[in-house]
Amino acid sequence: MLPVERIIGEEGLTATPRGARLAMRLPWYRSLPFSTVEVAGVTLDGAPVDLTDAVVEFDDASFPLAEIGEQTNAFWFVRDSAFLVLPGVQLAADSEHEVSLLLHVNPPYIPGMKRVNPQTATLRVN
Amino acid sequence: MTVANGPQMGVTLYSFTNEWLTRQFELDTLLREVAKRNLGPNIEIIGFQSFKEFPDVSDDFASYFKDLIAETGLNPVSCAINSDRFMKPGQQPIDDADLVEYHKRQLRSAKKLGFKLARGQFALPAHLLPELAPFCEDLGMQMGVEVHAPMWARHPAVLEYREMYEKLDSPALGWIPDFGGTARAIPPSLLDAARAIGTPEALIEITKEIWAEDGPSYVKAGKLREIAAAKGYEQAHLQACTLSFFILSNNDPKSWAELVDRTIHIHGKFYGVSDEGVEEAIPYEEILPLFRDGGFTGTIVSEWEGHAYCAVDAFEQVRRHQAMCRRILAEAPVAA
Repeated sequence: MLPVERIIGEEGLTATPRGARLAMRLPWYRSLPFSTVEVAGVTLDGAPVDLTDAVVEFDDASFPLAEIGEQTNAFWFVRDSAFLVLPGVQLAADSEHEVSLLLHVNPPYIPGMKRVNPQTATLRVN
Repeated sequence: MTVANGPQMGVTLYSFTNEWLTRQFELDTLLREVAKRNLGPNIEIIGFQSFKEFPDVSDDFASYFKDLIAETGLNPVSCAINSDRFMKPGQQPIDDADLVEYHKRQLRSAKKLGFKLARGQFALPAHLLPELAPFCEDLGMQMGVEVHAPMWARHPAVLEYREMYEKLDSPALGWIPDFGGTARAIPPSLLDAARAIGTPEALIEITKEIWAEDGPSYVKAGKLREIAAAKGYEQAHLQACTLSFFILSNNDPKSWAELVDRTIHIHGKFYGVSDEGVEEAIPYEEILPLFRDGGFTGTIVSEWEGHAYCAVDAFEQVRRHQAMCRRILAEAPVAA
């Protein structure tokens, strides 16, 4: 896997009081407005996770995943992970899970281009 | 009497995308590494790659960056900005006024950081140039549009810009050629990367044949997709091959001569320089003399893009590329 193909972040999977928190990397060479990114799916141990109430956290900001398409002036710095918080998903500390993430990017200066990025990894809960 | 200097060499930090994304370097350590290896002093930086605060950098960050530049002795020539017109996928582009303001934010930041010029993109429609030219002139910045594959000197979008450039005749506007638009072949290193993930030789042969044909890149890429679908090739293998249609095209290298007079900066795009000092896909021996003998005195930044498909040492590739360019630039002018 090339560095630009990585979408599961180095910080991995964490259990928090707000639910499971998954680190995501932006699969592009530059920062992009969050509005051009789609979190198209997450599976945990083979089962799809309901993303209806998922929340995106980046630095000190957070917004509902459902509103990511409106985030035209919030930029995902390409070196940093953004985090997907999954309310209702409670994971035991130190347990191991197979996580699949599907993320699409639509570079805002290349009309019509959609890059599809899947990744699956086995992660131990932090 | 002043003597015009020939083209100067430098590097864009984009060459080190792999090292950057894998967090092997911070901005300060990367700039120090470039300086230590004598790959500058001229540098280009993509605002949205290296500056977290882009498109609006703070005074504190600008001060920090200028201190780094002073310490390393590097020369911040070009800041690549982006024409992000399609902010909402599948919807209408943003308003012209918003797009102009988006450019102004980036241009102000580039100026604040000490850059002399900005790299723009064709996603900025030519009819907005009359608004940005006086802004750039007042700011004391130049803005050049990057002529990147599939664009080339006679592409309709380039001709439209050319007409506007001639009408405005502003010293703030110009071209930034990217040599990927005039390649002689698909880089062998790209095809090797496709082979390494198991792409069948038959698909690679079809790719080479279609790539060498005349016609727009998107049409050729579509043709390859149709053939691959009919023959049942895997998506990953197809994707490894179609990359070549988006980063390179096979237009006439001599056509750059038509853009030399308004060229303000150059992207020395390359994929792999051999032990003998020859780039594997782009005919530098044909292209560079056009700029050398045409009076271009700006900067050529080495832009290694092999990171789109492989992970060899980018620093060594840039060193080889700069040595190759210096060799060609030092040769005697070609008689007219």
